[in-house]
Amino acid sequence: MEIRKRHYYWWNKWTGYSILIVLVVATPLFTILFKLFDRPGDSWSHIFNNLLFDYFQNTILLLLGVAFFTFLLGVSTAWLVSNYEFPGRKYFEWLLILPLGFPGYIMAYTYVGLLDYAGPFHSFLRNTLDIQVKGSLIDIMNLPGAIFILSITLFPYVFLISRASFAQQSKTLQEASFLLGSNRTKTFFKVALPMARPAIVAGIALASMEVLNDYGTVKYFGVNTFTTGIFRAWFSMGDSSTAIYLAAILMVFVFAILYLESLHRGNRQYSAVNGINKPTARIHLSMVKKVLFTGICFLIFIVSFLTPFLQLLYWVSMTYEKVIDSEFFLLIFRSFGLAAVSGIIIVLFAVVLLYTLRLSPFKWIKSITKVSTLGYAVPGAVIAVGVLIPFLAFDKWIYDSFLSSKTAGLFLSGTLFALVFAYVVRFMAVGYNPVDAGFQKIGIHINEASRLLGTRSTRTLWKIDLPLIKTSLISGILLVFVDVLKELPLTLILRPFNYQTLATKAFDMATNEMIAESANAALIIILTGIIPIIFLNRLIKKREF
Amino acid sequence: MTILSLHHIFKKYSQAPEYAINDVSFDVKEGEILALVGESGSGKTTLLRLIAGLEHPESGSISLSGQVIVEGRESVPAHERQVGMVFQDYALFPHLTILENVKFGLQKFKGDKEKKVRETLLLVGLKEDFNKYPHQLSGGQQQRVALARAMAPNPKIILMDEPFSNLDAMLKDQVREEIRQIIKKTGVTAILVTHDTRDALSTADRIAILHKGYLQQIDIPKMLYEKPVNPYVANFFGKRNEILATPTAEGFYTPFGFIKDKKAGDYKGKVKLLFRPEHAEVVQNDDQQLIGTIFKVSYFGDHQIVKIADEEGKRISIRTNPGRTFEGIEKAFFYLWKYDVEEAF
Repeated sequence: MEIRKRHYYWWNKWTGYSILIVLVVATPLFTILFKLFDRPGDSWSHIFNNLLFDYFQNTILLLLGVAFFTFLLGVSTAWLVSNYEFPGRKYFEWLLILPLGFPGYIMAYTYVGLLDYAGPFHSFLRNTLDIQVKGSLIDIMNLPGAIFILSITLFPYVFLISRASFAQQSKTLQEASFLLGSNRTKTFFKVALPMARPAIVAGIALASMEVLNDYGTVKYFGVNTFTTGIFRAWFSMGDSSTAIYLAAILMVFVFAILYLESLHRGNRQYSAVNGINKPTARIHLSMVKKVLFTGICFLIFIVSFLTPFLQLLYWVSMTYEKVIDSEFFLLIFRSFGLAAVSGIIIVLFAVVLLYTLRLSPFKWIKSITKVSTLGYAVPGAVIAVGVLIPFLAFDKWIYDSFLSSKTAGLFLSGTLFALVFAYVVRFMAVGYNPVDAGFQKIGIHINEASRLLGTRSTRTLWKIDLPLIKTSLISGILLVFVDVLKELPLTLILRPFNYQTLATKAFDMATNEMIAESANAALIIILTGIIPIIFLNRLIKKREF
Repeated sequence: MTILSLHHIFKKYSQAPEYAINDVSFDVKEGEILALVGESGSGKTTLLRLIAGLEHPESGSISLSGQVIVEGRESVPAHERQVGMVFQDYALFPHLTILENVKFGLQKFKGDKEKKVRETLLLVGLKEDFNKYPHQLSGGQQQRVALARAMAPNPKIILMDEPFSNLDAMLKDQVREEIRQIIKKTGVTAILVTHDTRDALSTADRIAILHKGYLQQIDIPKMLYEKPVNPYVANFFGKRNEILATPTAEGFYTPFGFIKDKKAGDYKGKVKLLFRPEHAEVVQNDDQQLIGTIFKVSYFGDHQIVKIADEEGKRISIRTNPGRTFEGIEKAFFYLWKYDVEEAF
């Protein structure tokens, strides 16, 4: 036993690793920040004069529209399933989450196919009712259409979070409201809704982030937003500094939403003060209301999941013989591989960061650890730009200093390394949060007890901490896996030349008038996505999450 | 012989405006049980964690069995200190059996580990269920396992954080006595942290009282009770009454009457008479007493507290046996059989 000469007792190898991870992961974000001070590109004035207003208008209308409809759909269904007993209530609790498995762009072209001349509605009208309709039944390839598509895929965020909030509201509080003479409806507006407000706002903020991240839907529908603008500046005009300017403006939107959300939350903690937290007993209803409530939930389920899902199944049944070949399996293998590698790296990083915080719980370590998770708020297209710039610079440096002009080549940019790196930056938070929750749940005393029994921190991690948070590690990997599988804009920008994943293949096929064929890849993405959704639902119900 | 000594320890948490530990120094003798007592936020748990190496002080030094383990910001890491700790929530490893839990600290133990584990478990009074998992045991049994796990590697000192707070009142008395005996049997030095003065009085050899990070007094229980160095310590072990009095050569004039006492001649100016509720007695009318108006009688099963007010309404509390009845009585006569005198200004 000897005394260690250390002036900074927080310094250990864990702090070292953590600082390194944070520096690497935060590089793309800082790149965007720094590049902002550069001169804008040549096409900036063109975009500024002709397109910027469009971008602003469409982005804002899209945000407001989706916020309104996700609120309406999410809160109403959450209130019904957490307060009333009606046929199918138990199933709707998870059926209504399933739309989350649909990436927006797949939902978009499935609906286009559904309403198409060859689609089921047209065929029904034509063949059964003998009514001829010219063109598309309803034209959804516009802004209202994009709002519809994004609302039905994103409302489950609001549903999930407000349902959890309604479930946690104490029984006694609502009973107090009843005793003071309020009926259910009045109680909803005066007690339950205000109490759930921070949760609902958080849910809408999540949905808004996804709206800003979306590229596939708006691109497919021809709605110009900041995300499509970044693509256009980068690919069509080859103007990276203008792309960065647009990315920076998009980031202002993101921070505005985050700021509004935190401002709203403030110091308010609308949770029950004391321990009486029994859930409210569900009310039994009259026959009419039973039918009505079941009908509402079922209609929303049909529109947001069942119809498009059946349409996909139908397309798959028509085309699978043509599409599914050895190359298709290679596609699955590649996509799953990318997703798994990203998931494992992210969870590994998360364990290192959070274990550092566990051993040295200082505020500044917590802050820099949080920096690593910022990527989740940043749209994929922005991250892609932030990753490409330093990588291209690195390639150029290698090329200029070591190689003759003959052997032009890419070392980092345009490689799978760049792609996985970008996934790690973007989805760090997705793996970080379950690991964090896992560590918090087992508490710090267990770790301290092990160290006081003479075990070093690394061995303690292997022997005590990791075995106890195994489920959290697996769910972290799984959640990242699904998100990577669905990811489109970032993959489109950073994938190696001609390299396809399930998501890019589905999108390419759909945009090339091969909607039915694209359903095969889409179905795999959706089915894989549904597994963790059900898993997540269980976790939330058990309040472990 | 001194086994642990703390010198001028200062500790501040970065978020907090004030020091959590303020210039604390004391020694612990080998084989002794010391209780650290204080309200929540007094710094008692912080002090324990500083000794364990789970927190680091701003300045000061700590030595354990002759070796310096903390000197300012330099320190021996927790896993090398050979300090045993029993956590408030026991912190048993849920994925390991009882046997494996106790064995966990014996990685460097030379000799028959299994035998050592069994011996230690027997010592704390566990005879079976060694292959069960912690959640299959009762709270009391879990605590014994936690104690066994801390003691198995023969630590230089055992630290216990609120060891009795998770036990119900019935079990508490029994466990306190058992734990004291187990510790005394092995001769190990122990420090326990508690907010409950009864825990401290019944288990510890010496008690240290902390308040807002300052060490108020460290002494044997009897001295703390009878010779508290300040009002905080005095009030910590139950209420103390104060009566303002004017001394003369013959005795003290108080709002409740005259107390004959030759000692009074030593004082000039106003004084305070300090006494505990059990150091006064309500009596039948005779001529050596004080008198006051009965304000309230509270019944507690094994005793009663009678609150008596003087003419200005200032109240004192006196403990009586539970059989006394005060119904229909307005005035009470009482005398003090033990009190301290302090200058009032």
